[in-house]
This record gives sequence, C-alpha cells and structure tokens, in this order.
Amino acid sequence: MPTIPRRRLLKALSSGAGAFALARLAGPLRLARAASQTAKGAVEHVPAFTGPGANPYWSAVGSVVTYPQKYPLILLTDRPVQLETPRHFFLSPFTPNGAFYVRWHLEGIPSTVDLAEWRLEVSGNVRTPLKFSLPELLSRFHHTSFAAVNQCSGNSRSYFQPRVPGGQWGNGAMGNAQWTGVRLAEVLQAAGVKPGSVQVQFQGLDQGPGAEGLGSHSFLKSLDLSNPVLDECLLAWEMNGEPLPLLNGFPLRVVVPGYFATYWVKSLASIRVLEKPDENFWMKAAYRIPDTPRGTTSPEAVKAGSVKTVPIGRMPVRSFIITPEPDEKVPAGLPNTLRGIAFSGYGRVSKVEVSSDDGRSWAAARLGEDLGAYSFRTWEFAWTPGRRGMHTLAVRATDEKGNVQPEDGVWNPGGYLWNRIERQKITVGAAQ
Amino acid sequence: MKRFSGQSWATAALIFSAATLLLAQSERGDYTQRNLGALAQPAARRAQTDDAKYSIGSYPLYWPEFPEGEGKSLVTSYCNACHSPRYILMQPPLSREQWAAEVTKMVKTYGSEIPEADQTVILNYLTAHYTPETRKM
Repeated sequence: MPTIPRRRLLKALSSGAGAFALARLAGPLRLARAASQTAKGAVEHVPAFTGPGANPYWSAVGSVVTYPQKYPLILLTDRPVQLETPRHFFLSPFTPNGAFYVRWHLEGIPSTVDLAEWRLEVSGNVRTPLKFSLPELLSRFHHTSFAAVNQCSGNSRSYFQPRVPGGQWGNGAMGNAQWTGVRLAEVLQAAGVKPGSVQVQFQGLDQGPGAEGLGSHSFLKSLDLSNPVLDECLLAWEMNGEPLPLLNGFPLRVVVPGYFATYWVKSLASIRVLEKPDENFWMKAAYRIPDTPRGTTSPEAVKAGSVKTVPIGRMPVRSFIITPEPDEKVPAGLPNTLRGIAFSGYGRVSKVEVSSDDGRSWAAARLGEDLGAYSFRTWEFAWTPGRRGMHTLAVRATDEKGNVQPEDGVWNPGGYLWNRIERQKITVGAAQ
Repeated sequence: MKRFSGQSWATAALIFSAATLLLAQSERGDYTQRNLGALAQPAARRAQTDDAKYSIGSYPLYWPEFPEGEGKSLVTSYCNACHSPRYILMQPPLSREQWAAEVTKMVKTYGSEIPEADQTVILNYLTAHYTPETRKM
C-alpha cells in the first residue's frame, strides 16, 4: 500500500477536502463503518486438507497455480503434475484445452518433444512392424473427429467414506473435447495383427526412475483385442481444433470413448500387439475395480482378501450442478436458472432430472445440444424458489441404456467409479 | 422571508431523508487490504525456434512446508526420489496402518531402496503428523 506520512495524512483528513479518497488509500485509518458487509469472505482460502470426513467442497482443496499452456488450475501435486479443472469451466459443453485437468503417473513427463525424432512405433505380434512420423500418420489414414469425455478413474475420490489414499480429486478431474485423429483399428490393420494375439498395449514418452519391469519405470496400459471399443478408438493429435497441450499428451494421445482416462495414454510413442495378457503393474495391480455390481465393496471384505477384481472400464452415468455455486444467494419468488452437465460412458444421456426439495420430487431439465454419445450434455432448469431458507438441490441423469444415478455412493480401495446423485445447498433470501 | 426559509429547510430535510433511505437500501465500498502474490501472473515464454522441437520449459515446483520432527529429512529425501513429497500432504489423514501400507508399497511395488530402520523412522514421522489424530497442516 502507498506510504503517506501520518501527520500529512491526518492534516489532509481534518481539512475535509479529498478526505474520502485518501481514506480509501489509507487502509488502517479508513473511516470505519459499524456494519460492514463481508466481502472478505470472497478471498478466504480453503483449508490445506480435508478428512477424515468426506471433502465438503465441489473441487479438490489445493492452491491455484499456473502452468505452461494452462489457465490457473488447482494443484494436487507438482512432480509428476496433477492439476484439477475449476468448477466454472464446466458451464460449456467443451472444456478449453487450457483448463483441461492434468494427471501423470511418473515424474519423467515430457517437457520437450522433438518431432524430428518422435515416431509412433507399431510392433509386437504383427506382420509388418511400422513407424510413423506425425505427417506420415496424418497422410496415410482417414481423419475422424468426435466429442468424448475424458474422466480420471479417481475423479471424486475425496468423497469416499472412509477416505482412501490416492489423488484426492474433487469433481474436476474430467473434461470434454472434440478429438481429431486416425482410427486405431486402421493403424493395426496396416501392421497386420497376427493370429494368437490377445491385447494391444500403449506406452507414452513418460518414464520414471524405477527399475525396468516395475510400475515406477513405465506406464503401460492394454485393451483386449476382442473389445469392440477398439473400433471406436482414435489416435488423436488434435483437441478442440488445436494441437494437444504438452501436459495433455502432445503430440498424440489414445482416445477410448466411454472409457476412463487411464487407457487414454498421453504422448503416445508405442503400440504393441501382445500374445499374452499384459501383467504389468498398471494392469495387474492398479486401476482395478471389485467385480461386483457398481464396483462397490467394503474395507472388511478387502481385509479378508475376498474381493475379486477386474480392470476398470466404462464410466458410469453422472451429472453435475455447475451454477449456482454454494456461496450464492438467490431471492425467493424470482426466476433463476440452474445449469450443469451430464454424461455416461454407456451412451447418450437421455434424461436429466432436478429436485429442489432434497430428492423428494423430481422434474425434467431441458437438455442442451446432443454433441455425440460420449460428449458432455449440458442441461438447464428454470427454478423459481417459493420460500426463503436453505434449499437442497439435486440432479440425476439417465442414459440411453437405462442406467440411472443412484442415491448411494460406492466404496472400493482404489477410489474409483463415484457416481451418486450430486446435491447442492443454496440459500434463498426474502424478496422484500 | 420567514416562509421561504422554512421551505428550504423542508427541501433540505427531504434530501437528507432520501439520502438516508438510499443508505439503508445497500452498503457500499467495503475494501480490505490484501497482499498481492498469491498467484503471480506468468510472463510470456522466451522466443520459440522454428525447428521441430516443442518445448514448454520447466514445470514449476512448489516445495511444501513440513512440520519439524525426527524423520523429516528422511521423509523429504527418500520420497522425493520418485515424486515430490507434496504427495503426502495431498492425502487425507491416514491411520498408521494405512501409512505403513503406503511405505511398503513404495518399497515392495515401486522399488524404493529404503533401509528397514529408516522405514520405521519414516512411518513414525508420518504417524506423528499425518493421522486423523495428529494432522495439523
């Protein structure tokens, strides 16, 4: 703050002229008012951690930080980088590249990619091993473009009860983009998958300090060759019409529509066709869910060692209220619009319903444009609150397969598959 | 003259009450001194070259504060070999049993070479500062 000698300031104040303007500058000497509004509340910070109860916030708790090619995002970890997208970016169906969340597993993530050296290698149990530069890949295969949600397997992990270790994401480890690339199936066809192959494995440019063969050395993910999703997969170099930010996988990333992001390998460098199922750490030990309805289990069952697990796959149906946010206050009797998004890894969102009485009654929301089966779908709901006081809003989505969001959360040791109905408290004030 | 004066008083009173009414309708201009620098504005990156290298420079590190206590330097140095020790702070408060499982995972699964005696010191530090009962920051 500007320094003004105290005596001169007092003199200026006593003279009356210009006192108001000076008082504004003077901070500690400002003319105090008995009843002041609490604008200070707007800059209070979230606590450094939450727990052992559930995270009470929509987002992860963490400082807002700036990274190359990124808007200010919420910091989870800095090495490797994990950043969460703040809530307001979900008002639009497409998440800007600069706002798209970031999640890497190994500390050796690329910060420079040399396209003169970079090649996509297709190897393993194929007739013709291939290598493509980026221009070769672009010129050799058809280009395809579609919208798809990319959601971290651990999105919303901080709402688990009891809490589980892992990235303590709020709801912002997700994003929707228009992806452009070539079809994985065409590339595999060009290489010629030999009989006896079972899986296709992806590896990116990231590498950790661990010894070869350990999960801390390489991040490897595989999909079954019999999985029909392979026909829908893209190898994408474009995200929302632009090259991918380095933190989101420049120059090329796997897109597996409907599936959790763990398979969407970033900065892709190698595709291997395997004759035996992939038993590396990231398939055999990590990213596995209980083989139970909704992937839910209990700490007791885990302790007893009785939980059979399978690799995580498609994303269950979800929906979110984006505005109003909980610190807003709306007047009773005046029209308001609730806004949000919905999506499902099992196909189109067919219905979004909103409740303004904590889930006792539901009414259909108006759906936004259908941007594709695996895209975010925006929704709007006109709401005129009838009475003052605290209201609990809730939103639930149904997809075209008939999956509907349940009331209860799930529990599993990985902190995966959270999709219960979201609630939002809001204060309604008197209108006069 | 007297009547005229009365009129001006009435006008003044009206203006005054209107001002009071406006004051009651809202409150204005409450400012609080704050410190800048919570989030610095990044400068533009240096000029790019026109070769095939795509670089975004260094990723920023944000070294966190750790409570003083036995084991602090072991924790920050061993954990920092593979990831920033901020990973510890990101976790919710965990029980000693859960922290033990984390330490074991780092050694057995990820291959971190921490001597057994040091593992115990690390676990004691984590228990002393990061359980539901002990966590303060």
